[in-house]
Amino acid sequence: MQDSTDPQQHARAERFRRFVEPEIEVLLRVARTLTGSGVDAEDLVQETLIRAYRATDKFDGRHPRAWLLTILRNTNSNMHRRKRPDLVADWEVVGGHRPAFGARPPTPADDAALHAELDAGLRRAVDALDPRFRAVLLLVDVDQLSYADTAQALGIPVGTVMSRLHRARNRVRTALRVRPATRSDR
Amino acid sequence: MIATIRQMLRCHWSARRIQRYLDADPVARLAPAELRRLEEHLARCERCTAVVEEHRLLSRLLGGWTEFRAPDPRAVARLRATVDSLVADAL
Repeated sequence: MQDSTDPQQHARAERFRRFVEPEIEVLLRVARTLTGSGVDAEDLVQETLIRAYRATDKFDGRHPRAWLLTILRNTNSNMHRRKRPDLVADWEVVGGHRPAFGARPPTPADDAALHAELDAGLRRAVDALDPRFRAVLLLVDVDQLSYADTAQALGIPVGTVMSRLHRARNRVRTALRVRPATRSDR
Repeated sequence: MIATIRQMLRCHWSARRIQRYLDADPVARLAPAELRRLEEHLARCERCTAVVEEHRLLSRLLGGWTEFRAPDPRAVARLRATVDSLVADAL
């Protein structure tokens, strides 16, 4: 029978809430990148929260995001044993939707065609990346994780994150032949 | 000839640092001397400046996916409810 007035239980519960609530959206973003599916991402984060709650007493309170990303990665490995943790499951991350630039503030009409062309090219270039490189690119440049958090999410060293990111961006940049969108270009 | 080789080496040195310069990630910041040397080079080298601009454009394009891929608010709400439930069970 539970003691509803147990101060230790209460403190633990409040610690847990304080650590995880600000990170739910980040966890969902990362989970979606890792699983390639919104539904799987939610399942993964739900299981991560349950495991994190059980492990709250062992957590020292520093770097909650890194702690949660490690649990997320391990949970994902356990749920999908055949998959390598540093690979993105599939690449349906933005497929079938309108161009991403549509989510950004309006641009002058004469820039729209250039942006649409670049965005389509960008998808093709990201699609062509090695999945290990793609995972790092998505986590850093789309999910906006730091190098250290990306390393935690994938279970690889920070130096590996940096080298994969460097190569991924250079490949995409080269594939796109991205040019600064200056008016003198047109 | 020597001047050309020197310029190539400077560009090569810069190319290896441009992404760290733009990202300014806490674990991989350039040292002040590297930062100064890179910025001095960028001020003189059109080719490397163009590479910087390409990276900035790429970052803006990928940044557009960030907003577009924002998590479903209903999923966020369900997960907040999971947190509430875990906490409530403990109390």
